[in-house]
Amino acid sequence: MGGASQLFKTDLEGLDRLIRKLRSGGYVVYGPVKQGRSWFFLEIDSVKQVDLNYVRTVLPPKKLLHPPREKLFEFKLDDGFEVSEKPTPSAVALFGVHPCDLKAIERQDEFFSQTPEDPYYLARRRNTLIIGLTCTRVDENCFCLSRGTGPEVSTGFDILITDVGNGYLLEPGSAKGLELLKSLGFQEAGDEYLEAKQKLIEELKKSFTKHMPSEGLAELAKSLLDHEVWKETAERCLSCGNCSLVCPTCYCFDVYDVLELNLRSGVRVRELDSCQLLEYAEVALGGNFRRNRFQRLRHWMLCKFGAAGGGLYSSCVGCGRCIVYCPASIDLTEVAGRLRGGG
Amino acid sequence: MNPYVPRIAVIESIVDETPDIKTFRLRITDGGFSFVPGQFVMVSVLGVGESAISISSHPDDAEKFIEISVRKVGNVTGSLFRLKPGDKVGVRGPFGNGWPVDKAVGKDLLIVGGGCGQGALRPLILDVLRHRDRYGRVEILYGARTPQDLMFKYEHDVWASVPQGCLLLTVDRVPPGVEWKHNVGVVTRLFEHVTVDPANSLVCICGPEIMMHFAVKGLLSMGFKGDQIYLSMERRMKCGVGKCGHCQIGGKYVCKDGPIFTYEELKLEPDKIL
Ligand SMILES: Cc1cc2nc3c(=O)[nH]c(=O)nc-3n(C[C@H](O)[C@H](O)[C@H](O)COP(=O)(O)OP(=O)(O)OC[C@H]3O[C@@H](n4cnc5c(N)ncnc54)[C@H](O)[C@@H]3O)c2cc1C
Ligand code: FES
Repeated sequence: MGGASQLFKTDLEGLDRLIRKLRSGGYVVYGPVKQGRSWFFLEIDSVKQVDLNYVRTVLPPKKLLHPPREKLFEFKLDDGFEVSEKPTPSAVALFGVHPCDLKAIERQDEFFSQTPEDPYYLARRRNTLIIGLTCTRVDENCFCLSRGTGPEVSTGFDILITDVGNGYLLEPGSAKGLELLKSLGFQEAGDEYLEAKQKLIEELKKSFTKHMPSEGLAELAKSLLDHEVWKETAERCLSCGNCSLVCPTCYCFDVYDVLELNLRSGVRVRELDSCQLLEYAEVALGGNFRRNRFQRLRHWMLCKFGAAGGGLYSSCVGCGRCIVYCPASIDLTEVAGRLRGGG
Repeated sequence: MNPYVPRIAVIESIVDETPDIKTFRLRITDGGFSFVPGQFVMVSVLGVGESAISISSHPDDAEKFIEISVRKVGNVTGSLFRLKPGDKVGVRGPFGNGWPVDKAVGKDLLIVGGGCGQGALRPLILDVLRHRDRYGRVEILYGARTPQDLMFKYEHDVWASVPQGCLLLTVDRVPPGVEWKHNVGVVTRLFEHVTVDPANSLVCICGPEIMMHFAVKGLLSMGFKGDQIYLSMERRMKCGVGKCGHCQIGGKYVCKDGPIFTYEELKLEPDKIL
């Protein structure tokens, strides 16, 4: 990482220039915007729309890389059929992505790069510039520290912004990011900026109250498939699928065909799916290998603990969204704690 | 190459195997195709959807055609049943691993099929017929609901004539008036006739999971080890390439790590009947 030694600094106006520069370069820029009580990644044209002190958005930036619904291809049925693929996506810049979400994107990148590559995700990812943002605060549902996914990150971004109080430290994470910073004429930052960042990180580390260490968790959970915690927790679970919808590492999707009214052409679509829904594991003639709610809850948690199909790539980064948005107050860190012998 | 876009195949001929199973012979229109016994394809009826179906023909014929044997159970399979020779379908794949044909060289083989699972086993049986010297003793056990539900009846004489081997058939019940000279009862009842040596053989099983459950139990008690028992698993599949998540059995993807697993590999995984 040749860029690591070169650090820049700027002020709020400079961040605004960065956003304007991206927009004039053809990027659609998304950043964390507060609406009501929550934050959302929305299209922005100025830093003024962004809340740089946000905690977490409702949906992770996944929605822009692995969208909730997307067309795989179009087809024509006329005489036999013809399939045509979709065009390439437009360039997107994600502004203000927190460390947990940066790590989640890295995991999704690796997941979708496994052979055979997923051309839709990777085409979009290649056209995406990522500007990370170090958190300024931690709430009672953040636990990236124990997952090793924050609050400090060294990869997963083109540029990383840190609010150091009297200005912003800008660290390039890629050649593209370095070039962008240079082109904006930002001044080099002195050591005091790095020291201030280090102090902020140390302060943040002290404020975590939730923990779910990764060490041995996957193996432990797999060895405790009959633990009572699964059934007990599932009694409250509504199988609504919120947890997987808001999870930045959940990648599962459904595929289906939609015919046009003329019945001669149509599209094949993929749509985010959730293993919490009953139909997810249904097979022909009414068979279902996860008919019971506890099996679905257990499968999802095993996945987040790194013990299901996606392994590390779909495991938890500690963003806390599933805890915040669970209508039944289910907390996977409590389940992990029970498995480890607490309670 | 986009793994989600199917290639186009033309239906060359259709054989009625049973009242609800048909074998379709497909010719891939845009060039070569190769596979190993036990692999599957994702077959599309565009506008309806896609289903995972095992290839039931032998790899040596793949340049000319592949066959799939489909049981009509729902939307996609029902639509396939309405197609005629000359119609087109989409094909992706082949996907998955395959039967342990290399490990089986020089060993005895016990092949156990139930219902439409016999489709996935046929390429292996055809391999035994075409390359008889590769394998030791080969015993084929095959069960179906009734005599009418047995697939590939037109080949049973050939299967039965394998030197140093046998074909044992059984059905759950025989409807009145139907002639039947083989066994009646579940396929595991045939185990008492098995003579392959557990110490030097592999077992390949494909059928309903509940049948495989009882088969594994029986085999373990006969002295076969978990890593000698190969099972072809069925789960919901939406992509076939390890991305959609649907086919997971705990930490394994049926589409990518399977569909064939040893019992040893699966025994600790959750959410299965095995
Ligand atoms: C590796 C593998 C090999 C298979 N080989 C064969 C074979 O050789 N012959 C054969 O007849 N059948 C085979 N099957 C089962 C076959 O895929 C299903 O019966 C078929 O997908 C049912 O689809 P449907 O639309 O007709 O049924 P519906 O019940 O209408 O299906 C509804 C939905 O469920 C999905 N679905 C239902 N059952 C399955 C299933 N078991 N696997 C994946 N998706 C499912 C379909 O994609 C569809 O979206 C195999 C399955 C797998 C996983
Ligand atoms: S079928 Fe999609 S992951 Fe296996």
